[in-house]
Amino acid sequence: MSGRTGIKTHAKLKSNVQSWLIMLPGLILMTFFVWEPLFESIRMSLYKTRNVELVRFIGLDNFVSVVGKDNFLQALQNTFFYTFWSLLIGFVLPILLAMLIGETTRGKSFFRMAVYLPNMLPGLAVIILWSAFFSGEKSGVLNILLAKVGMQPQSYLTHSDWVIPIIIVIATWKGAGATALIYMAGMSSISPELYEAAAIDGASIWKRIIHIMLPAIRKLAGTLLILQIISVFQIMYEPMVLTKGGPDNASLSLMQLMWQYAFGGSMNYGKASAVAVIVTLILLVMTAIYSFFNRKQSDWD
Amino acid sequence: MRKIQHTGVIREYDMHAVPVKIGYGFILFLCILMVVLAVFPLVWVTLAGFKDLKEFVSSTSIIPQSFSLKPFATTWSQLGIAKNYLNSMISVVGSVACALIFNGLLGYGIGILKPKGYGVVRKLVMISLLMPATISIVPLFMNIQKIQLGNSFLPLWLSFGANAMYVILFAQFFESLPSSIIEAGRIDGCNQLQTFFRIVLPLSKPICAVVSIFAINAAWSDFLLPYLVLRGADKQTVMVRLFVFSTEQTVNADAMMRSVVFAMIPPIILFFIFQKQLTENTVSAGIKG
Repeated sequence: MSGRTGIKTHAKLKSNVQSWLIMLPGLILMTFFVWEPLFESIRMSLYKTRNVELVRFIGLDNFVSVVGKDNFLQALQNTFFYTFWSLLIGFVLPILLAMLIGETTRGKSFFRMAVYLPNMLPGLAVIILWSAFFSGEKSGVLNILLAKVGMQPQSYLTHSDWVIPIIIVIATWKGAGATALIYMAGMSSISPELYEAAAIDGASIWKRIIHIMLPAIRKLAGTLLILQIISVFQIMYEPMVLTKGGPDNASLSLMQLMWQYAFGGSMNYGKASAVAVIVTLILLVMTAIYSFFNRKQSDWD
Repeated sequence: MRKIQHTGVIREYDMHAVPVKIGYGFILFLCILMVVLAVFPLVWVTLAGFKDLKEFVSSTSIIPQSFSLKPFATTWSQLGIAKNYLNSMISVVGSVACALIFNGLLGYGIGILKPKGYGVVRKLVMISLLMPATISIVPLFMNIQKIQLGNSFLPLWLSFGANAMYVILFAQFFESLPSSIIEAGRIDGCNQLQTFFRIVLPLSKPICAVVSIFAINAAWSDFLLPYLVLRGADKQTVMVRLFVFSTEQTVNADAMMRSVVFAMIPPIILFFIFQKQLTENTVSAGIKG
């Protein structure tokens, strides 16, 4: 009896070792590309750096010096503005798109396809394309269109109150369709009998939307809300390419500030890491909120 | 011909009421407006590509004066875009291979094999999903410098082998496979690796297709890490080139628009080939974006 269990545990051990060996290449890559850099940036933020070398431990000096600069507060404030505008413009729109497309009969798959298309385009190309749209020249597309209805040409990207909403409009143009498809999937899981029964009971179309459709996607909307906040918080290349953070730092984001410290000429990796750590901390708080709202769902969702 | 029914909130018999009919017409109008908004910028940028610099900066018409393809041909050859296309292809092929192999095996580990202690790995992968790579791009770039892999495609390929989202997509799909089939393979004497290649992979074509499409598109569109890694002009991809144009303003505005068109053509082709998979499978994968 003990011999058989011995063989069994041996086989089990062998199978465990084999399994870990199969996972090993992936684990090494995850460590090199994702996990170690995350810890390394924490360590680096505490050191004075020269190029890729850590010169000496300086405690929180990098943080003090980064936070003490005017552009940090500006970038922090801007990043919250990005988030605010993104929620204002980009949160409800995908739900509306999904509702509209969901009601169509003919051409539904065509509409789905068309709204998804911008999501496939390279983000950088999209930004450059839209920069020509919002160009302040007379030949800027928006100015051409405005001239047709008799309005004066405007300079959009040099207006400090407009840059952040404009960048969010561009990001929404790219992403809203893909998010709408997620909502459509959520809405398609609602049983048609529910609507049928409500209709027979005399519930109007509005009542069916408010009492059947919206409650069914509430949980999904909560998840997507947090994911949207986390993702827009890391906005970087959009302002970098479109406005270089201008005018006068009005569109500078936190991640862009990190990039400037690291690759903007000064190669100050320590300070760049300090900014990255601050962003990570804020994201961690948001992730905690996310898992708090998400805790009743299954492991994978 | 079978009549198409209203199957959303609006049911078939609602359509007898005139206000609902008008409302439905309005919904259709909004949907068409949406399509116009989604497509117009692409049409515009293509049209703008036909203009020369003088026309581009001064003309207040969206339609170009002539539809000759010559400006596109000139930009293509003057800027040597063919070379960038080739580099992008090299980057994409290696990235897709790495994305399938490494994430697939890790997904197999946490989705099917589940050895002792796999839960920790799964948790770590789930957390990484919420912490995208840009945060740690500085130390990652330093790591790549330290092991002297700068100016090579290898780190870019391998970076696709470390994608938390792909790992989770694979693991979820593998978990949904009937365990009896995998058990059967084990009884037939396959070891775990053989089971993966002979039984699991052939059943996993749909998820491999999805991950491939996402990886092709991501590898084509990526430019931050490639910009840092591929410093040499001879290895620049299309996107790195475009990024250099946009930050250093080395090309004229008209040539820039044509470069944008060149950068968008492959993803658009990919989109039309795989539109069905894309619009149906965003459900789980799209969560991230």
